[in-house]
Amino acid sequence: MSDRVGGWLDERTGWRLVWDGVFLRQVPKVNWAYTLGSATLIVVVNQIITGILLTIYYVPSVQDAYATVDFISHDLTAGWLIRGMHHWGASAMVLLVGLHMVRVIYHGAYKFPREITWLSGVGLLVLTLAFGFTGYLLPWDQKAYWATVVGTRMLEVTPLIGDWALRVARGGDDLSAVTLSRFYGIHVWVLPAILLLLVGLHLYLVVRNGISAPPKKGE
Amino acid sequence: MAPMDRRKFLSRATVAIAAAIGIGWAVPGVAYVLSPAKKKTGEAEWIVLGAADRVDIGTPSLFKAKVTKTSGWVSTEAEVAVYVVTHDGREFRGFSNVCTHLGCRVRWVADQNEFFCPCHNGVFSVDGQVVAGPPPRGLDEFPVKVEDGQIFVSLEA
Amino acid sequence: MREQDRRDYLEKYQEDKKRGIPFFPNALFKDAIVSLLVFVALVVLSAVIGAELGDQANPSDDSFTPRPEWYFLWLFQLLKFFPGNLEFVGVIILPGAILLILAALPWLDRSRTRNIRGRPIVLGFVVFLFLGVLGLTVQALLAAEPPLEAAGGDPVALLYTENCSGCHGTSIAVPAGVNLGDVISQGGHEGMPAWSGDLSSDEIDALVGFVLSPNGSAVFQDSCSGCHQAVGLAATQPLTLRAALQPGSEFEPHAGLDLPSLDESSATALVNFLIAPDGHRLFVLNCAACHGNSAQFAGTRNELLAIIEKGGGHLTMPAMGGVLPDADIAALAAYVVAPDTAPASSAALFEADCAVCHGTRVPVAESVEAATEIIVKGGSHQTMPVWGDVLTAEQLDALTDYAYEASQGSPAVLGKTLFEQHCTVCHGEFGEGGASPVDPSFTIGPISTEQYLVTRDYITIRAIITQGQPDSGMSPFGLAFGGPLDADEVGAIVAYIRSWQDNPPVELPPAVERAPLLVDVADIYAGFCAQCHGADGEGGIGPSFQSPEWQAIHSDSQLFETIDLGHPATAMIGWGDILTDEQISGLVELIRSLQGGPGTPGPVAEVSFSGDVLPIFQSKCLACHGASGGWSAESYQSVMASGNSGPAVIPGDAENSLLGQWLLGTGTGGFMPPSGSLPTTEVDAILAWIRQGAPDN
Repeated sequence: MSDRVGGWLDERTGWRLVWDGVFLRQVPKVNWAYTLGSATLIVVVNQIITGILLTIYYVPSVQDAYATVDFISHDLTAGWLIRGMHHWGASAMVLLVGLHMVRVIYHGAYKFPREITWLSGVGLLVLTLAFGFTGYLLPWDQKAYWATVVGTRMLEVTPLIGDWALRVARGGDDLSAVTLSRFYGIHVWVLPAILLLLVGLHLYLVVRNGISAPPKKGE
Repeated sequence: MAPMDRRKFLSRATVAIAAAIGIGWAVPGVAYVLSPAKKKTGEAEWIVLGAADRVDIGTPSLFKAKVTKTSGWVSTEAEVAVYVVTHDGREFRGFSNVCTHLGCRVRWVADQNEFFCPCHNGVFSVDGQVVAGPPPRGLDEFPVKVEDGQIFVSLEA
Repeated sequence: MREQDRRDYLEKYQEDKKRGIPFFPNALFKDAIVSLLVFVALVVLSAVIGAELGDQANPSDDSFTPRPEWYFLWLFQLLKFFPGNLEFVGVIILPGAILLILAALPWLDRSRTRNIRGRPIVLGFVVFLFLGVLGLTVQALLAAEPPLEAAGGDPVALLYTENCSGCHGTSIAVPAGVNLGDVISQGGHEGMPAWSGDLSSDEIDALVGFVLSPNGSAVFQDSCSGCHQAVGLAATQPLTLRAALQPGSEFEPHAGLDLPSLDESSATALVNFLIAPDGHRLFVLNCAACHGNSAQFAGTRNELLAIIEKGGGHLTMPAMGGVLPDADIAALAAYVVAPDTAPASSAALFEADCAVCHGTRVPVAESVEAATEIIVKGGSHQTMPVWGDVLTAEQLDALTDYAYEASQGSPAVLGKTLFEQHCTVCHGEFGEGGASPVDPSFTIGPISTEQYLVTRDYITIRAIITQGQPDSGMSPFGLAFGGPLDADEVGAIVAYIRSWQDNPPVELPPAVERAPLLVDVADIYAGFCAQCHGADGEGGIGPSFQSPEWQAIHSDSQLFETIDLGHPATAMIGWGDILTDEQISGLVELIRSLQGGPGTPGPVAEVSFSGDVLPIFQSKCLACHGASGGWSAESYQSVMASGNSGPAVIPGDAENSLLGQWLLGTGTGGFMPPSGSLPTTEVDAILAWIRQGAPDN
């Protein structure tokens, strides 16, 4: 039965080719450190799912942001869990990306032919931090507000364009409704779009070039 | 364990874990999305109007109370006005002061012993029945109870 | 990597793959296990700790101490090492460089080696990066939270929390040599406001102490706050403070109190808190009384430190043996040891022979013999206190840094020169202003009043000098705006102008400046001049106008100028902003009419050296300026010829004679005699004699 359904689907989609290429491919013998990449991926998926769920109720305005986060955390069923997982997912993401990078450096896995994979990884690191920075403001509590005040003020010290950079980041001289709205847009639309592109590229390259083998002594 | 068995076991375990994680997301996610729907305001909320001995027998008295209505994270405050009537000091009835015709506010005219709506001359009896004018039905009645000398009204009915 | 290496690698990788495992399910199983663990960890963290939601953001509540999420903490901490203008290195350059190196890693590390043992540089870089980020994060986590709760009881910490922590976080690293008090009160860098408008100077002092010695604040809170308020106590005299801290104190106000005993480091922290190790302030408190704005010093910093620490023996007392009769020496010795029981004449002797240097202060000697010995032999005197016992190491360092820098030409000294070159034309020598040289109908207001300076912070004055005041006809002086001065020079002028603030040469608020008093000259004299010069010009704080000598040696234009601009070394202020030129001219006439006054002797023709001047020299100068070298006050010949800095007297030009400058305090060295200025009449007599051409009469 399942064979027949699979066959029917395969004739029309060619999914078996993809399945064989992605999942049934041969990989070198690897150790537990190689799971860090997929652990990061699962957190990415977690962030996407919980993030989408959060946007259902969250309203990015100065009047409502805090109230809606409060509503999510305290009034909705499992809201605390969704928000908690998104919150902790952000930290886990940074941690896992860092460890994953250390693993790659340790094994020299950024070398030929995986340079582009590495480069997209560095891009994903920056993206992760950008997610963290923009997302931190959204609950609009004291911690969020003042950390972002200081965080954006750091831009001001840039030589020549400091003032300008600060105003671009805040959307004005002060941290305001405009800032909140922009951070929300960036966090929810711009960064995820780039994230999907880069993750897609990263995974495609991992499949195409294969997982690097742990180098033995003298290699 | 034979290689095939091991392979089968690993496959199943992997799929099972994936399913577990999937369920781990799906169940709270669905509950989260659906939870506002499940929250029926359900039980009548009793609003304190005031002391029962303020109501003279046979004469409707107007009570006003502030009601906070919460929907989601937005709270709105509304004022309700209820005429409370008793004929024996034990049985109390509460009537809306909104005319059933076009929504003007009725007021009690003691001389005529009737509720009068100034907009189109609608007239209601002391028990809320239409006496004259265009109103299609009697004044809306709310459940009223008295506990410890305080009158409570429920706006749910 | 060469072509061959690449081919080798791909070949070898194919082999590895052949000997490897299928991705699904063997490799993926491990991934699934770890994923599950991660998922469970997230759920557990959410359930146990949850996601905190603090109070709603309140942009007007700046007492909140901001702290970034943990993964940015290291960057936050890094900033503390890059204060001021270097901040962008910590914010942009360092993280940017790290990112760039990371991104370029495959091209930086091009060797074919993949095993980590063959790549020590990469390993080193990663370990360094890892330890660096970890270390900074830990440091930031450990950094004492500003005592928000403790702030309830610690007013200084509360001050800090309310006013500083918003931008500076829990603590501030202050580079050596920074005058923190000034930075706080005047605003330091871009974005930092001047606090002098909001905080009292006591509060600023206390804040400086708190920033430089936060532990001290805690010690104070524990040990002293029961009786004392920190903001009132900060910056008292260190000697008093040290005495007050002695265990089992003999310090009078503490007598009979059960004082908490402090260990050494707590005591140091406490002293550093109450008297912040802020060089400029320490100098003002401890040194300025004797050394003025800066002490001349030519040695190295370490030598200076040694002098400050161990005290100086740098005044030499002349040997009096042989100079004074033995009987006088005996009387003096007795007077010094026990003033009350000494012979009556001894006080007068002391006045004549010792008071020039020692003032009214009686030098202490244990016995008459010891006193006699010192008087007879003279020699080195411990005139400078041993500050090493009084100040903490931090304070000594700060003080030495400041004093050393100041001795090399402090910004204020440099600024004075520059001010004279560029500013006096319009603003007058003391910033008193006056008619604009370009447009005499326009009056330039004084810039040296306290009000003017209090209301303008460093940044403002700097901007005015740099960019000019186009509407008021002041051209820009900054290089960037086409002027002649670079940033450091402008800074020096600002420092000089700022130095007026404590002792403004012009004491009138700008508001009064253009409202000339419409009263007649006699009333002006009675109302203002008579306060110092006497109702009939008989003198008082100021010189007597009745004195014929005085009238003889001052021309009308000199009088006019003095009234207009004031006299730099005395309490005479410039009246030009209050009085019109006509009124001043009238005053000059009035002063002329006062000569002789009611019942004064007739005019004396001229000052005589032997009769008027030499006796002053003999009684006031000869004790030091006699046999012990340098300029000698002994005779006409020695007065005119001796000295190490060229002739002391330029006949006819009193103001430019070294002698005149010393007496008036207008030269570079300060005042003579060291115990204070001679009486006005004596100074005037000497100056008049020089103006006459310094005759030997």
